[in-house]
Amino acid sequence: MSDRKVKVPRRAFLKTAGAATATAFAAPYLVPSGAMAANEKLTFGHIGVGGMGGAHLRGIKSRMGRGETNIAAVCDVDERRLENASRMAGPQADVYRDYRYVIERDDIDAVVISTPDHLHALQTVHAAECGKHVYVEKPACCTVEEGKAMIEACNRAKIAVQVGSQGRSQPEAYLAHRYLANGNIGRVTRVDCWHYPSPSGGTRPDGEPPGHIDWDLWLGPLRWRPFNPGYLHGTFRWMMESGGGQIRDRGAHVMSCTMWWMGADGTGPVTVEATGEAPRRGLWDSAVNINVTYTFKDPDWVLTWNQPGNPVPPEERTGREPGGRISRPGYGALYTGTEGTFHHWGGDGGTWAERKAREWEPGPDAEDVYRSPGHMDDWFLGIRTGKKTIMNVEAGADVAILTVLGNLSFLLGRKLQWDQSKREIVGDEQARRLMDSPERYPYVI
Amino acid sequence: MNEPLTLEALIEQIQSGNHNVRAAARDNAGQVGAPAIAPLAEIASDPGKFEIARSANRAMQNIVYHAGRPGAADEARAVSAELIKLVGAEPPLQFRRDVMWMIWQIAGAEAVEPVAALLDNPDLRDDARMCLEGLPADEAVAALQAGLAEAPDDFKPAVAHSLRKRGVDVPDVPDLRLVPTKQTSVTPVGR
Repeated sequence: MSDRKVKVPRRAFLKTAGAATATAFAAPYLVPSGAMAANEKLTFGHIGVGGMGGAHLRGIKSRMGRGETNIAAVCDVDERRLENASRMAGPQADVYRDYRYVIERDDIDAVVISTPDHLHALQTVHAAECGKHVYVEKPACCTVEEGKAMIEACNRAKIAVQVGSQGRSQPEAYLAHRYLANGNIGRVTRVDCWHYPSPSGGTRPDGEPPGHIDWDLWLGPLRWRPFNPGYLHGTFRWMMESGGGQIRDRGAHVMSCTMWWMGADGTGPVTVEATGEAPRRGLWDSAVNINVTYTFKDPDWVLTWNQPGNPVPPEERTGREPGGRISRPGYGALYTGTEGTFHHWGGDGGTWAERKAREWEPGPDAEDVYRSPGHMDDWFLGIRTGKKTIMNVEAGADVAILTVLGNLSFLLGRKLQWDQSKREIVGDEQARRLMDSPERYPYVI
Repeated sequence: MNEPLTLEALIEQIQSGNHNVRAAARDNAGQVGAPAIAPLAEIASDPGKFEIARSANRAMQNIVYHAGRPGAADEARAVSAELIKLVGAEPPLQFRRDVMWMIWQIAGAEAVEPVAALLDNPDLRDDARMCLEGLPADEAVAALQAGLAEAPDDFKPAVAHSLRKRGVDVPDVPDLRLVPTKQTSVTPVGR
C-alpha cells in the first residue's frame, strides 16, 4: 500500500494549495485537503442505487433542488436499477455499470456507496485513492484487513468518510447518550443486545445470471461461483462472504450505538467467543442464531450479541416523541450499570430510547454530548470543515470488525483473543489467516 | 454426552433426505477429521443432489476449521494432505475452486507445488493465484514469481498483485485495479 499515490482532484488540489498558504500563518489549525467552502456545491456520484442506494439518491436529489448538490453520475451492475436511478437523478447524470468510471472523474467530489457488503471496502479504498469523499453503507468491511485498508487509505487521502450506521445521528440517540454519559445508571458494566434470527433459505439451484445483471462485477472480489438467485438483491446479507447475517447487518447499528454511547470508539475487546446455529439447508450460510460475548478491559465491561435474546417489550408512545412510535421493536439493547438499567429499541434509522432518558432534565453541571445534525448533514460538515464525522472510518471499521470477529468465532467454534492496538487476532494461526481474504482480480484492494 | 460421530455415520447421515439429519452431521464433521475428506468430496462433487452436495461441502469446510485450531498441527497436516489430492483433474471445476479456498485456510508449503501447477489452467488460474497468495510460506511467493515469468500478458497483473501483497516489488507490470472496463447499455433517461 505504501507506494500507492492518492489522486487528488483538481478542485481539491486548488483548495489544498490555498489552505497551505493560509495555514502557514494560522497554525496549528490544519485544513484537510478535501475541505470545501460552506457555499460550494458538492458534486456526487452514486454507486449502487437499489434499496438504500435509491433512498440516498432521493436524499441527495432533494438537496439538488435546494442548490446544495449536483448529481453527476449513477452506477449499478443491474441495468434495470440503473435505468430507474437515471430517471430519478435527472438527465444531467451520466450512467455507468463499472464504478471505476465514476471515481476517475475529476468533477466528482464525493461518492455514496450502497452496494452489497463485500464491495464496501474495495470501493471505499478505490474512491479514497481517487480523492473522493465517501459515504459508505454499513457494515464497513467484511474482513479485518479490509477494515485496516479502509482506515489507511481514507486517512492518507484526508477525505471525510461517513459509514451508514445512522443510529448515532438519531434524536433519541442523543438523549440516550447524554443520559448515560451523565452517570444516570452509574458505571455501565454490561450491554446486552438482542435481535431476532437470520433467515434460512436460498433453496433454488444455480443457474445463468439474468441479462440485466453483470455477475462478474457483482461478485467483485469474491472468488468465482455460478450465479444463484439466492444471492441478490438484498439476500446477499444472508451469505457469510457477502453479508454475514443479522449480527453484521443490524449489529453494525446496535453495536455502533453502544460503542458511541460507551465512549468506546477506538477501543476493542480482548476476547470474543461465539456459539450459534447455521441454517439447516439452502444456500444461505449466515448463522440463524448466534450469541457472542465480547470482553473489554481497562475499563472492564462486557458486550453481548444475542440472536435471539430477550427483547424488552416496546413502551407505549403517543407518536409525538422525538423518534415517534417504535416501529421495529425486534432489536435493541439493555444497558446495565452499577446504579440501574437503561434500554433502547432499534438502533438504525429508528432509534428509540427508554422514557426515563427522554424525560431526564440535565442540571447546570450536566455534561453535554455531540448532537448530530443528521447523518448526511454530519458528513457534509466533515467535507466542508474537516471535522471528524460521527461514524468516521475508524469507528465504522471497528464496529464492523466486532461483527466479523463474532462470526469468525462462530465458524471456527472457538474463543478468539484480540489485540486492538494492532487490530490483530492473537495466538491462533488459522484465525489470523482468516482476518484477510484473497480477492479476485482486478477487484482487489 | 452424545457418542462421537464415526466416519461411517457421518457419510450415511450427510446423504440423508432429512435436512435436520444432514445439518447435525455437517456441524459435527470436525471431530471425524481428515479421513472424512475423500468420501465427503465424492458426495460434494456430485451435482445431481445439490442440497446433499452442499451439506458435504460445508462438512469439509467445518473439518478445515476444526483441524486448524491451535495445538492441532498434526490434524491440520492430515487434512491438508487430503485436500491436496483433490485439486487434480478429476472433480468438477467449481468444486476444485472450493477445495483451493479450503487449502489456503489450513495448508502450508506442502500445497504450493500442486496448486502452482494450476496457474496455467485458464479456468482455475485465478483461484490458484488467490490460494498461493494466502498460503503463509516462502515457497508460495517463489511459485508466484515463477508463475509471473510464465504467465500470459492478460494474467500477469493478477499475479503481480499477489506478489505485491506479499511484499515483492513488481515494477514492470501494470496495476489495473482502477482501470474501468465495463460499459453499460443504458442511456441517461431524458437526455
